[in-house]
Amino acid sequence: MSGLIRLEVLRVLRNRKSVFFSVIYPGVLFLLIAGSADSGTTLGDTGLTLPAYMMVSMASFGALTAVLMGNSERIAKERENGWVRQLRLTPLPGRGYVLAKTAGAAVAALPAIVLVFVVAAVVKDVRLDAWQWLALTGAIWAGSFVFAALGVAIGYAATGDAVRPITMIVYFGLSLLGGLWMPTTTFPGWLQDLAVWLPTHAYAALGRAIEQHHAPGVRDVTVLLVFFVLFTGGAAWLYRKDTLKA
Amino acid sequence: MTTTDTVVFDRVTKKYGDVRAVDGVTLTLRPGETVALLGPNGAGKSTTLDLLLGLKRPDSGSVTVLGTGPREAIVAGRVGAMLQSGGLMGEVTVAELVRLACGLHPRPYPVPEVLARAGLTAIADRRADKLSGGQAQRVRFALATAGDSDLIVLDEPTTGMDVTARRAFWATMRDQADRGRTVLFATHYLEEADAIADRVLVLHRGRLLADGTAAEIKASTGMRRIAFDLPEGTLDEAALRRLPAVTAVTVSPGGTVRMRSSDADATVHALYGLGVYPRNIEVAGLGLEQAFVALTETEEAVAA
Repeated sequence: MSGLIRLEVLRVLRNRKSVFFSVIYPGVLFLLIAGSADSGTTLGDTGLTLPAYMMVSMASFGALTAVLMGNSERIAKERENGWVRQLRLTPLPGRGYVLAKTAGAAVAALPAIVLVFVVAAVVKDVRLDAWQWLALTGAIWAGSFVFAALGVAIGYAATGDAVRPITMIVYFGLSLLGGLWMPTTTFPGWLQDLAVWLPTHAYAALGRAIEQHHAPGVRDVTVLLVFFVLFTGGAAWLYRKDTLKA
Repeated sequence: MTTTDTVVFDRVTKKYGDVRAVDGVTLTLRPGETVALLGPNGAGKSTTLDLLLGLKRPDSGSVTVLGTGPREAIVAGRVGAMLQSGGLMGEVTVAELVRLACGLHPRPYPVPEVLARAGLTAIADRRADKLSGGQAQRVRFALATAGDSDLIVLDEPTTGMDVTARRAFWATMRDQADRGRTVLFATHYLEEADAIADRVLVLHRGRLLADGTAAEIKASTGMRRIAFDLPEGTLDEAALRRLPAVTAVTVSPGGTVRMRSSDADATVHALYGLGVYPRNIEVAGLGLEQAFVALTETEEAVAA
């Protein structure tokens, strides 16, 4: 089992495309969005500067990319080419495959988060207390498991040509509407009301609360937990359905 | 049924819609047996193996592997299986994949040993998703034999292998059977079944048509081949066709006659009664391939 996890991690790190998109890309995007922003003035009533605000958004976005994009497509592909079937003929316990995939994605998510932090601190002078950096890393990393489960669910629900467009729609939809690319305060009112119920919005809010020295909002934690249960439940159900027809 | 039986199928049926892919199959495999599963395409071979490996569940009847359910036996590392077209992991090398399989097995063999036995040592550092068909087949074989299993199941194992690789492969399998492992393989190479298996199962339209040694199956059709040469001018094909028990006659341009008979003694006796002088007469049993064709044809005739 640990062997499979190790190998899944290695694969992610060996794949240049996945390293670029899930590790480097969020840091680059942060620079593009926050690069010319003023580090002095604060954003609306958040008390945060634009770089500090976008740092959490982009770290969350990077983690989301790592766990969602890689898994769904790989799982769908490996179900199709028969590797999943092949693994079912080894003594690997049933859930081992999904756990290893999730672990592989989680490992890729961590450097993405850290890279955004390093870029923000070095280039845009974002300053936080030591405990805040640690808490941010932990919270964003832990939160990424919600979307890892979603990636697994999509991987088992979609096949072949459909998996990439479906993943893209979910990924861009969640990123944009959840306010990872721009503050939701720029949205029309009705859309803002909708956005607060999205898992990506709650995810970024978690990190922002840490930056603002607040305790995380009850609604945000609840939204994340509900989606986590929903996504893992869905993934487990789809997985079981798939193994029965194998 | 005793607990020492390796595989027990008890009246197993699996349907896809109206088609009975496996239709009331009952069979028992014992330790140390090398068993070939024969059948034309669509006979139900793959479904039978899937049921045996717990990849499919029977609609009725039961499948027992080493005293437990198929899935339990696999998780306990007691079954090594190689499918015809399982994909391999991308972005990893052959050696890494074999190491993974050894790591997953509760009683693994050393990695270099598994690589060597599958003939993979020279390509151990190649990427597993960039191999030829025969090489990939050998990797799947290595995955199936990464540890000490009681039952080895192989679906068309030598497809894509050249003659040398095929010979080496079967030598390895023989060795496994000699150590008390049960080896079950599906094949459409009848010579392989004839040369290697000590037991042959013939599957047709989901039913078990024959179960015995290759010699028994060849004999079970009751058919014999008769061949002889007739001097020119004495050959009357119509008369030959009228001989008792003859089911088929072919005459080659050189005057060689080949017949198939369900009672060779009566046919030969009557042949001499025609007053001809057949030379180089040969009477032999059917080859496994001919027996197989005869068996499935009879079944088709019954069905029609």
